[in-house]
Amino acid sequence: MTNQMVKPALWAAGLILLTLYPHIFGIYFSNFFITFAIVALFAVSYNLLLGYTGLLSFGHAIFFAAGGYGTAIALTRIKGLPLIPAILIGVFSSIALALILCPIVARTRHAAFAMLHLAFNFILHTFILKLRHITGGEDGLAGFKIPPFTIPGIVSFQMTDPVQFYYFAVFVIGGCLWLAWFLTKTPFGQIMVGIRDNDMRVDYLGFRLVRTKAVAYILSAGFAGVAGSMSALFQGMISASEADIAHSFKAILATIVGGSSSFFGPIAGAGIFAILEELTTRFTQRVELVNGIVLILVIMYFPAGFIGLVRRIREKLLRRWSAVAAKEKTS
Amino acid sequence: MDATVEMYVAQGIHGVAYGMMLFLIAAGLTLIFGMMGILNLAHAAFFMLSTYFAFQTAAWTGGSFWAALIVAPIITGLVGVLVERFILRKVAATGLANQLLVTQGGAFVIIGLVMLIWGTEYQSFPPPDCLSGLVNIAGMQYPAYRLFMIGISFSLLLFLSFILYRTRLGMIVRAAVSDAEMVDALGVNVPIVFMAVFGIGTWMAGLAGVVIAPVVSVHPYLGDSVGMDAFVVVITGGFGSLGGAFLVAMVLGLLNAYGIQFISQYAMVLTFAFMAIVLAFKPMGLFGERE
Repeated sequence: MTNQMVKPALWAAGLILLTLYPHIFGIYFSNFFITFAIVALFAVSYNLLLGYTGLLSFGHAIFFAAGGYGTAIALTRIKGLPLIPAILIGVFSSIALALILCPIVARTRHAAFAMLHLAFNFILHTFILKLRHITGGEDGLAGFKIPPFTIPGIVSFQMTDPVQFYYFAVFVIGGCLWLAWFLTKTPFGQIMVGIRDNDMRVDYLGFRLVRTKAVAYILSAGFAGVAGSMSALFQGMISASEADIAHSFKAILATIVGGSSSFFGPIAGAGIFAILEELTTRFTQRVELVNGIVLILVIMYFPAGFIGLVRRIREKLLRRWSAVAAKEKTS
Repeated sequence: MDATVEMYVAQGIHGVAYGMMLFLIAAGLTLIFGMMGILNLAHAAFFMLSTYFAFQTAAWTGGSFWAALIVAPIITGLVGVLVERFILRKVAATGLANQLLVTQGGAFVIIGLVMLIWGTEYQSFPPPDCLSGLVNIAGMQYPAYRLFMIGISFSLLLFLSFILYRTRLGMIVRAAVSDAEMVDALGVNVPIVFMAVFGIGTWMAGLAGVVIAPVVSVHPYLGDSVGMDAFVVVITGGFGSLGGAFLVAMVLGLLNAYGIQFISQYAMVLTFAFMAIVLAFKPMGLFGERE
């Protein structure tokens, strides 16, 4: 069988599995899948910065929170707001935040970039806790009505129904993931990789370094905003813990453990953590301790992450197969 | 004396005391960064760990503040040395992102272990009896313990400058800050010096932890806000610059004290506003050198 046939077959099988998933595994696991998908999108948006542009941020949760709070506040304050505008308000508030921060951060890199974001994360978290009348403080916002998704005169999906929300979430998050993947394949994506590998050379080649970084930053913020907005709609609430620095580290951990060198690494990392969390919360409350140990072990012994491990195993297998094939030919 | 003036002076002393504490923490951080190029995100966790060591030592010795002041920072420094030897040394060569991530992982592990061993409740660690009252100087009342904080930080500042500028070890450290490879080539065992510097840095964070413990309550997230301020000091003062760290620590201490007095809700924003303004004009910090 040729490679050209395997890929479409795999995609088709994946799509069929995604469609049938809630009917096979039930509500609990379809909700589990949505939680995973949201973290995966959040981690992929983070990897646009870390893996593709080489910018290490310690405060990506600010964009997740901006998206989530944008949607939640819009739905609380504006009566009868339809679903798509509510999501767009979340995404645009996240992009607006990125636009405000851009002039400060786009010229910095390395440690300064990382630490500035730690500081921004801290500031935003404090504001969310203090501005109680807007954000609901520690408890966050809940109890807003989630509108149905309607195309007027044609169809209307109730978002309160878990299965219908599942399809909507898979469609939106899948679309965003595809868009992000497509972005990395464009010439712009190649310049991003160039900045990661050698920003001086990209500068000398005549590309605008600061503006390219700024655009990558804003796009990454936008995708994180979608993740936050979907999370607010999925849970029917958003709380201050989602603007926490610990939440930023969720994206970092998924990216590092999955492998930042590949587009699919963060998705694999998000999957690993979803399963790990599901298992560890049964035995211990100390998720932080487990996360810390995992982070140290992965960086010390598997710096390329899960994807790196897969690549190494595949290379070994290929070498063995080709050796076997060569032997058969000669004998 | 006039009540307003008294308020200004009292807040000023609070500010200087907090600034001195910040400097103690930031000095270790900036020294480690300047010399080893490692931004130790676990630094604030070491600071927090030391307050628990102090609390435990005091519990075992029948509430002796002085025993805790000696023992706790030393144990913290030893933990720091072990972390440097067995984790950081392996990771240091693989790049900045890995260093930051592994030290942050270390911070998570320390916080997690502290919660596992001591729980999440607030613990109290009282100051010694002889320092808990007020002192009367020139007709004004000062809390004795704040003066003690300023005094001990100041003597440590003198001690540190003595080591750095008057001893052979200090000479090696200063040389390694500017060019570690060259110092290594000259026959100095740089890994051992790195280990010593890391140990001294964490020891200073530990000392700051014990000294600050009586004026705050001891809890697992103690390091978060203080650590954040210490990072702001290091970034704004310029990575690796001790003088810059001292100046910015003082400014932040005073901003914090007067900020709490006048706009208590948003006092912490002042800190970050100060950093943002400085970085907007000098991206490498006040006394930082260009890469």
